Amino acid sequence: MIKVDKVSKTYGNHKALDNLCMEVLSGEIYGLLGANGAGKSTTLNMLLGFTSPDSGSIKILNSRTNKIIEKSQIGYIAENVNLYPYLTGIENLDYFCRIADIILDYNTLTDFLVECGLEKEFHSKRVSEYSKGMRQKVGISIALAKNAKVYLLDEPASGLDPVASNELSQILKKLSSKGATILMASHDIFRVRETCDKIGILRKGCLIKEMKSNEVTSKELENIYLTYMQA
Amino acid sequence: MKDIFLNEFKGYFRNKLFFSLGVFFFFFLSIVTYFSILQNEEQLVAQKDAHEHIRAQWDDMEASNPHSAAHYGTYAFKPLSVLNSIDDGVNSVTGNVLRLEGHRQNDIAFSESSQSLVVSKFGKLKPALVLQFIIPLLLIFLSFSSYTSERSSGRLKLLLVQGLSLRKIVFAKSITIWFIGLIFLTTTIIVQLIFVDSGLNEDVLSRLIYLLISFSTYYFILVSLTISLSVLFNNSTTSLSLIILIWVLWTIFLPTIASNTSEKLIPLPTRAEFKEAMLEDRSKGIDGHNPRGERRDALEKETLEKYNVENLSDLPINFSGILMQEDEEYGNMVWDKHFGSLYEKLELQKKSYQLSGVINPFAAVQSLSMAYSGTDMYHHLHFLKETKNYRRIFIKTLNDEYAFGGSKTGERGWKASNEFFRSVKDFSYTSPSFKSFYKKYLTDIIILLLWLFISFSLVFYSTKKAKIDV
Repeated sequence: MIKVDKVSKTYGNHKALDNLCMEVLSGEIYGLLGANGAGKSTTLNMLLGFTSPDSGSIKILNSRTNKIIEKSQIGYIAENVNLYPYLTGIENLDYFCRIADIILDYNTLTDFLVECGLEKEFHSKRVSEYSKGMRQKVGISIALAKNAKVYLLDEPASGLDPVASNELSQILKKLSSKGATILMASHDIFRVRETCDKIGILRKGCLIKEMKSNEVTSKELENIYLTYMQA
Repeated sequence: MKDIFLNEFKGYFRNKLFFSLGVFFFFFLSIVTYFSILQNEEQLVAQKDAHEHIRAQWDDMEASNPHSAAHYGTYAFKPLSVLNSIDDGVNSVTGNVLRLEGHRQNDIAFSESSQSLVVSKFGKLKPALVLQFIIPLLLIFLSFSSYTSERSSGRLKLLLVQGLSLRKIVFAKSITIWFIGLIFLTTTIIVQLIFVDSGLNEDVLSRLIYLLISFSTYYFILVSLTISLSVLFNNSTTSLSLIILIWVLWTIFLPTIASNTSEKLIPLPTRAEFKEAMLEDRSKGIDGHNPRGERRDALEKETLEKYNVENLSDLPINFSGILMQEDEEYGNMVWDKHFGSLYEKLELQKKSYQLSGVINPFAAVQSLSMAYSGTDMYHHLHFLKETKNYRRIFIKTLNDEYAFGGSKTGERGWKASNEFFRSVKDFSYTSPSFKSFYKKYLTDIIILLLWLFISFSLVFYSTKKAKIDV
């Protein structure tokens, strides 16, 4: 469960978040839509414990953020997954698992990469030879291998081809069905509508609209989004 | 921590540029150490040959007047320590041969810098030069972007989300780069252990271990400082510029400023002033009292009374020998006054330079490097004191032979036998063990530990203040 309660954050003269309130329940996928600078990354950074709110409170799994115990229960996928270029895909996955105290055998590591859509022939190639999409797939496998209770995703489908993007949606749905809490920040209205249970639109640090995805079509969502963005 | 260490190491080994640089430095340092050992051993052989030659000349001396033999004199050779091959310290500028003769107390001569323009201008290429200047630069270049590359690439967030703390990351990175420095240090020591033919004893081994510990402490200070600055400034260019500035201050400006300050605070007399003051004391008596003529008259009276005779010609011994020894002993008092004060000043200068380590850990590690190699000012002064002691015994032995060996006053042509000259003990110098000398370097050791504490604190402070939300 993620609960953001009346959170505000200001950087200099810029108000990044303004009294933000939102809640993501266990087993729910929440899509956070918003233009650049709307406050999506600030929200994720706070949830990850990288910055603290000026006011308000954040709770993840009923405890405050920035504690090791919570980190072990958080999976994170960045917009641009940058891995160690001198390691192979499987070595990167192994390394990021090891530092999280997760020791997996070679076959399990391979299975995670395959599950995330990375073909076997690339597993033993150095990441310096990977495309952005391939790196993204390794990034997703790192988050998955953690078997976390909460997933924070910042444009996770960035760089993925439509097939891989669809596979990611399926993976996220599978995770939520197992009780995981997922918050996904994105620009991709279609993908959010397809994947998420609940959608929030963020503008200038304020949550201006919240809706259930099954209550709107993609076209309606696009219209709502554009209307609020232009308002 | 172990996983980060291994991963970082893998990264360096898979990086062609770094790997090539690492291999280059490995061989460069090995070759420099090896040639330095060869050079040291050549010098030791040459010195041994010269010493044996001088002694053989002395042993082969025909029956001669002991006073003539005192004028003939001998030489004391400052034996190069085994670890002179690592750091030649003050040896290249102080010289290593001292002529010992009657009446005169000479300065040490034949310094390498006086015979070579290159040595006097640039110093000799020794492992210490590489370990003090080049390896630290390499470590700085490896460190400055070690953290910022993680941050700018976004990997830092992923590492933190995976449960690592920023402090652990910074420490692990510091240790990895420090370990690279340790490899180069160990290389030097292993080459030293493999190729040094003789002279490796418990003292030398302990000195090598202390050298390894001190340099590795300095490397950790430098690496953690560089990484901490990059954490604080969040910018690799700024942190690199700053650490290079600090490095230049530490290695170029502060040592010069500290030396000049020491010289200003504890000034040494000029060579001309010093010699003139000694000559004056020798002839007029210390502080203008008891001039040479009066001293001679008093000694003559005392000797005649002792032997209960009226004239010098009635003495059963040779008064000239007694007189010469008295003059020597008076000269020794003059020497003790002037050189004693000079050595005290040199020690004080060295101590004040050591204190500059408080703002410059390089001064501490440089001082310790020379100390462990047995080539610093304290070791040099120890040698000079030992030669002084030997000279006194040497000249006294000759004067006593002249006075009590069988000749009478006025027998200028009297000669001592070759057996006597052979029986005169040769100069044999043993460098002090580090165990007996370590107190002189406590300042450097404490300062280095203080800097280690500062660097740890800086890692704690910088990781606490670091901003991750990029």
